Amino acid sequence: MFGYYVSLAIRSLRRTPVLSALMVAAIAVGVGAAMTTLTLNYMMSRNALAAKDDVLYAVQLDGWDPHEASDNPSEMPWQLTYQDSVNLLRSDIPTHQVAMHRWGGPISLEDSDIRPFTADARVTSSDFFALFGVPFIYGGTWSAEADQGPVQQLVLSKETNDKLFGGENSVGRTVNFNGVPFTVVGVTEHWQPSPKVHDLNNGHFNESAEVFLPFGLHRTFEIYPWGNTNGWKSEEINSYEDRLNSDMVWLQYWVQLDTPQQIEAYRDFLTGYIREQKEQGRFPRPLKFGLSKPSEWLVLNEVVDGDDRMLNWLSLAFLLVCLVNAVALLLAKFLRKAPEAGVRRALGASRNAVFSQHLVESSCVGLLGGLGGILLTLAGLALIRQLQMGYMDRVASMDWTMMLAAIGLAVISSLLAGFYPAWRISRTNPSIYLKTQ
Amino acid sequence: MLELRPILSALWRHKVSALLIALQLGLTLAIVSNALVVMNERTERMSRPTGIAENDIVTFNFMAIPKDYDMYGAFRQDMDMIRSLPGVASASVSNAVPLSGSGSASGFYSEPNKETGATGANYYTMDEHFIDALGMKLVAGRGFYPEEVMKISPSSNDRPTIAVVTQKFADDLFPESNGNVLGKVFFNGGDDHPIKIVGIVERNLGPWPNSSVAGRGAFYPAITDRWFHYIVRAEPGQRDKVQKLVEEKLAERDGNRVINSHTIEEEKAQYYAGDNTMVKVLSGVVILLTFIVALGIVGLTVFWITQRQKQIGVRRALGATRTAICRYFLLENLMIAATGIALGTAAAQIFNGLLVREFDQPVLPLMITVSCAVALLVVSLAASLIPALRAANISPATATRSV
Repeated sequence: MFGYYVSLAIRSLRRTPVLSALMVAAIAVGVGAAMTTLTLNYMMSRNALAAKDDVLYAVQLDGWDPHEASDNPSEMPWQLTYQDSVNLLRSDIPTHQVAMHRWGGPISLEDSDIRPFTADARVTSSDFFALFGVPFIYGGTWSAEADQGPVQQLVLSKETNDKLFGGENSVGRTVNFNGVPFTVVGVTEHWQPSPKVHDLNNGHFNESAEVFLPFGLHRTFEIYPWGNTNGWKSEEINSYEDRLNSDMVWLQYWVQLDTPQQIEAYRDFLTGYIREQKEQGRFPRPLKFGLSKPSEWLVLNEVVDGDDRMLNWLSLAFLLVCLVNAVALLLAKFLRKAPEAGVRRALGASRNAVFSQHLVESSCVGLLGGLGGILLTLAGLALIRQLQMGYMDRVASMDWTMMLAAIGLAVISSLLAGFYPAWRISRTNPSIYLKTQ
Repeated sequence: MLELRPILSALWRHKVSALLIALQLGLTLAIVSNALVVMNERTERMSRPTGIAENDIVTFNFMAIPKDYDMYGAFRQDMDMIRSLPGVASASVSNAVPLSGSGSASGFYSEPNKETGATGANYYTMDEHFIDALGMKLVAGRGFYPEEVMKISPSSNDRPTIAVVTQKFADDLFPESNGNVLGKVFFNGGDDHPIKIVGIVERNLGPWPNSSVAGRGAFYPAITDRWFHYIVRAEPGQRDKVQKLVEEKLAERDGNRVINSHTIEEEKAQYYAGDNTMVKVLSGVVILLTFIVALGIVGLTVFWITQRQKQIGVRRALGATRTAICRYFLLENLMIAATGIALGTAAAQIFNGLLVREFDQPVLPLMITVSCAVALLVVSLAASLIPALRAANISPATATRSV
């Protein structure tokens, strides 16, 4: 029966090509617009650290201005001070923990034709790779003492290693960074999480670091981070050391806590730490800290912003208009075939049969609309890539989930749209049409 | 207007279809008018005057490779060299670039030793050529003298004692002074180091034009060896030539550094990319929706006319003119459209309420809804005009033919 209905549907669509094309176009445009924005938001709100969502936590401490909470949804500064980072690093509770920030500098090779270039760097404690699950192609992270004092070792990203060494195993080789020689101790695999959950401070979708540097280098290089530095009070700063000891925040901090006991212990540790600092006159606000999972961190940082959410709703409203349009057109089309349905009913077809026949017909319209919608979505995404939004390049693409979702959306939409017209026509009173024939 | 009753009773027989079209028009009106108000706001935001010669400026910065690099020496020599190049109108050293999305801001006070109630503003450290290099307009006072320009470091507390500020900064920090702020002093939070205002420039939107501090700016006579940019203003039309030339000459003067350059135009496009995309996406939505609604109206009118061919023939045979037939369908469409627009005007307000509350978007003025409604009415009538004209051409003979 189903096959027969499909062939009936195709015949019916062929009979009114213009009206059918209009319906398919309406659904295709609706699905295309809805899916373009839904895809963008889906890709933007992906959690690049989903695999470790249950064990990773972004740490926030509220050491802000006693008069005024920090101006963001969490009401705590996003980042930590240097002194707090160093103090927290002493804890042995977390399985892994990382204090880090963005930096950069010129990178070059001795005796090489490669032109020096500015490399984006991540200054971090050595647990970075284990905590975020960054795999190595060659070598590994730097020695433990490099997190405390100046050890000139670094890790290259795959892309930087390709650029500098043509992809060879460069472990043990020397590169110049910021004018001094560093020994390469490791090369990571390609690692480009999007959004960049681990550092939402410097553009949610920017490139990851090109080189990774140990945490012990701050004093040697007088490192000023490439990223936000925020302060809330006027401080007397006369040297780099003063700056390290200041209440300015500029470091991101993450911990890995594998068990509930660890979480409990770490909460106690942070509470104790803040109490201890309060005794020394710091942390003037009520005791408060934050431990946010990657998924929570993305929401808190509003990675999907108001504009994106507004476009989401807009595209759904758009789809609704297209659906209403499809309902009107389907209704017109089905009612035109009322005499035919009347004859079928008179010859013994049940209401159900007439109903399902027309529902099949509207699903065919939906399927065609869905396919058209995917094409339009791909075109829409290509267009958005053209709009030079920078990071959109990495986000505006469609995966299989979204393609299937597009077809699903189209079929469900057209089933919904076809429901009323199909019901209307299945209610046709056969006698009227028999009389007029 | 004699046909109103028959139209109404005909519509009543097709009430669902008619209502669906009205609904479509209503939703479209609601979406389009809200889209327009958002587009309007974004377009206005992007076209605000920035206060600088945005089309003529190129910025350069370099990273030295050797660790001990004489930064201040390099600035002086680079600046002398750049200023002597053909096509260069002016050049300055700065810690930040307007419209670039990267810079410094702080809270300022009109009284010493205060901790709350600050006026937030961007600040720049620049050499004495800054007004000319940025192409700003000095409205009062003076710029800096060369001997006033200090060398400061981010890890020191050296602070300048004079500043040039924007008119908006002056007005917001000293609201009761009527813009007459020359010679007044202001302070950073929690200290008593006075900074005297020696000049006022008309306008500078700052590095983040969409932020709350936009437009409030203070310029200090100082250069730092950490964060700096060369801001070079080219003679009109010479920008791209100057960009290439300066890049070459900087590399030539010292090949042992990495040089990055950007035009302000690029920085601005990058900064407003989100707003720009929003405007483009919304215009796409407006055009597509109008198109779809028009298609729907054409489709349905054509259908109704085919269905009523016989009746039209009868009316024509009974003496109705072509104009009368045409008018019938246009009136029918007008009634549907009017219903839709009434629905849509209400829906537009409800949608807008949501947008204002949830997404911080601008309030929808009634004028926009009304002009959208008029436009939709025209589209709707135009869409039904072609089928109506076709209906008018139906020959009275159809009436006598049996269907």
